[in-house]
This record gives sequence, C-alpha cells and structure tokens, in this order.
Amino acid sequence: MTLPVSPHDARAIRISHVSKQYGDYQVLKNIDAEVTRGEVVVICGPSGSGKSTLIRTINRLEEINSGSISFDGQDIHAPMKTRELNRLRSRIGFVFQSFNLFPHLSVVENVSMSPVRVKGIARDVAHDQALRLLDRVGLADKANAYPGQLSGGQQQRVAIARALAMEPPVMLFDEPTSALDPEMVGEVLAVMKSLAADGMTMLCVTHEMGFARDVADRIWFIDAGQIIEMATPEEFFTNPRHPRAQRFLADLRH
Amino acid sequence: MINDIIAIIQDYWLLLLIGQYPNGPLGGLANTLILSALSIGLAFPFSILLALARLSKWSFLRWPVTVLVYVTRGVPLLMLILWSYFLVPLLTGADVPSFVTMLTTLVVYQAAFLSEVVRAGIVALGHGQMEAAKALGHGYFGAMRFVILPQALYNMIPSILSTFVSTIKDTTLGYVINVPDLTFAASQVNNQLLTQPFQVFLILAVIYYAICWSLTHVAYRLERRITRRRAGLTGVRPTAVIAPVKIVSEQL
Repeated sequence: MTLPVSPHDARAIRISHVSKQYGDYQVLKNIDAEVTRGEVVVICGPSGSGKSTLIRTINRLEEINSGSISFDGQDIHAPMKTRELNRLRSRIGFVFQSFNLFPHLSVVENVSMSPVRVKGIARDVAHDQALRLLDRVGLADKANAYPGQLSGGQQQRVAIARALAMEPPVMLFDEPTSALDPEMVGEVLAVMKSLAADGMTMLCVTHEMGFARDVADRIWFIDAGQIIEMATPEEFFTNPRHPRAQRFLADLRH
Repeated sequence: MINDIIAIIQDYWLLLLIGQYPNGPLGGLANTLILSALSIGLAFPFSILLALARLSKWSFLRWPVTVLVYVTRGVPLLMLILWSYFLVPLLTGADVPSFVTMLTTLVVYQAAFLSEVVRAGIVALGHGQMEAAKALGHGYFGAMRFVILPQALYNMIPSILSTFVSTIKDTTLGYVINVPDLTFAASQVNNQLLTQPFQVFLILAVIYYAICWSLTHVAYRLERRITRRRAGLTGVRPTAVIAPVKIVSEQL
C-alpha cells in the first residue's frame, strides 16, 4: 500500500498548546506534541488521564477550548464549513474501542459504503477494494456475514479495514483491544503491526505494553491531562524518568 | 342474521365500496383507503423531519417543534379535527374540502406521535454509530440516511406499524365533518334500513379489521425477512446448508 506523501511537511499531525475542560475539570492541559510521517506513537497512561480525549480531539470528535491541531497543514479545530471538516475527517482513519460497525450492513458493505457515499467511488470498484482489504485483515471469507455473526476480534479487524478503505494517511486507534476477550487481542495487534510495517502513520491509545515495546517509535505517557514523558520504548521501559511513569510501569508488572 | 348481512352486502356493496361516485364524491372503502394511504404516506416522512428537528442542536428548530408535538399529543384528535374544520375557514376565508381538512389534521396528529417513536429509535442507538459515520467523513444527512435511520426505523417497526394501524382507524373520525368514507357510507346504509344497525356496523367492523390485520401481517413478514437477512440466513448460505440435508434424505 502506498501512502500519499506531501513533500512540504514531514509532520503528519501537530498538536499545539491544546487545552480542554469539562466545567471546572481540566482534561487536557496545554498539550504540545507532533507525529511525523510514518511514525507509530503509542499513548499510554492511567485511566482518566485524558488519553482517549486527546486522540478524539485529533479528528474533532471532541472539541477543544484552546490551542490548535494541524493535519495536512490545516487546523482541524479552526472554524470551517462542515463539508471541509468532513473531508478532513475522511482522511483520518479512526478505530473505536467498541468497534462501532454498522450492524445493518454486511461486512463488505461496512467497508465499501463510505468510499461510495463519501468519496463517490464507483460501487464495483469500492467492492473490489473492500474485498482486498478484508483479505488483508484475514477476513475475506466473512465478506457476506453481518457484524452480529462475528467475534469481537473479527469485528475490530473489519473496523480497521473499514477505516483503511478511505485510504487515510493517518490512523488513530482508541484502545482497540480493550473490549476484547484476551484470546482475540493478538489477531487485532497482528493487523496493526502489519500496518505499522507498511509505513502507516499511527497513533494508538493502548494498554498493550508488548505492542508498545515492539512496534512504537515513541511513547507518550499522559497523566492528569499532561504528556509528562515522551520517549522511545527502550528508554521508557528500561529507564522511565518521571516518577509517575515509574509507578505506572511497576503497577503493570503486578 | 347471516341472511340480513348478505342481503345488505348485495344491495349496498357499491355504496360501501365507492360511495355515491360517479354521481357524487368518491367515498366508501375506496376513500378510506385513499385517506389512510395518503395520511400514512405523508405523516411518515413528516415525522422523520419532526424527530430530527426535536434532536437538533439549534433551539430555533427544536423549540417550536417540541411545542407542536406536545400540544398535538396532548389534545384529542376529535378536538383537532373540529378546530381545523371550523377555524381554518374562519381564519383564511377559504372553503377547504372536508377531505383535505381531515387529511391535514391526521398527518399532523400522526406525525407528532410517530416523531416520538422515530426519536426514541434514534436516541436508543447511542452515540457510537453517529461517531463512526462522522469519523469516516459522512456529513449529518449522509450519516442519518445511510447509518442511523435504517437502524432506528427498523428497530421501531412494531411501534411505527401500530401508529399506521391507528391512523387507519382514526380516519373514521372524518365522519363528524362529513368526509365520505367507509363509516359515512355505512351510516347512510343504516339510515336507509333503520332496523338493522347491528348487521350494518358488524360489516363495518369486519372490513376495518381485515384492513388493519392485513397491514399488521405484511409488516410482520417484512420484519421477519429483514431479521433473517441480518442473521445471514438468506443468500448463498442456506442452499449450502440445505443441499446436504436434501442429499441425506434422498439417500434414506
């Protein structure tokens, strides 16, 4: 799979001074970070730290109170026509913890519907592409099944194929394996690993530290709405600097 | 008794079927069916618009529609019919045919009820489906049309259907403003016979029951077909499943 590369900027996503609050509660505090093209970033941290909120602000499923997030050289939180926002969103793949497949559509329709309806691709072309993507996530034989007939792991792989069908240069994963039975985590991680190996720019909120260690180029550790540590997996797992990160890793080992 | 009923049907079937047409306006069963079909056909899309307005983030859309829905649901249909029948000509000076008055009132009334059903169906889906559609780049109307409504409306088929059935039954109230429908025709028959009200209105009840039951039955079958399709029981698979069974039975 070839990824569209824009020559003018090596940064895929730039998060600048992003803050968000619900009433008095500050969820995100002045977050500043960037993801370069082809990079795999794993966001980890204790629950309630704001990791899911952060990743959801990147395609504007959550609004922010201040700051900016640029993608493709455009601030996705700037006032803009909804049409423009939809266009930007269609170029950011998003995988949800709860899969959110469309239960009224067959697996292949789940994957091919948005290319047809959003990008205006011919139905048969989108169908063939969907079959190729399903083959890629190992579910070619389930093309005509309905989501309700699939296991959690299979549903999540379909959800990944569905996001890939829009050919996004960036993929966001919001705890993609947290809702899965343990024996199904591996199959989803394998698909994500193969995506990373193909050079996809990825941002993953996950508790799978094995995945983080093997696949991530960098780890962002978030606590109480702040990124308090950015490090390579090696640095992070062997020699975390921040005491909160040390405690987090110690808790994980138990 | 049975003979009376047969005699009434033999004598008056045309009046019950089409009213005084072609010598007068179309009436009877034909008019009841037309009024029902038009009411349902118009109230259904209208109810979706009302439901979307009720869920809108814009208060200038949400509030007037909420008031309309609450008021309409809080007033007996007969009251609404009488209001439109007497007030609309007074206010506009226009001479509105009773059929149009009845149709408009029914559409508004049933759409108000249906809109709550549709709204409940949408709300029950939760945020996940809308978020998934948005994340894929669908706009609001695209998400509604391809993702939300197909599910919400399907889940609500039983409630939607019972509203359709009650719409058909409510057309009988047109009688009070002289809409020439089936009930009107039956009461004409009764007025001519004078001595057989039980027989006449039994025929009337049976006809209404048959119409409403057929609609319920059609929708039930439709619902089952969709359920089976979603469970993956049609298409290529059943032949694959059934074929070996057949072979086995042939071998026996």
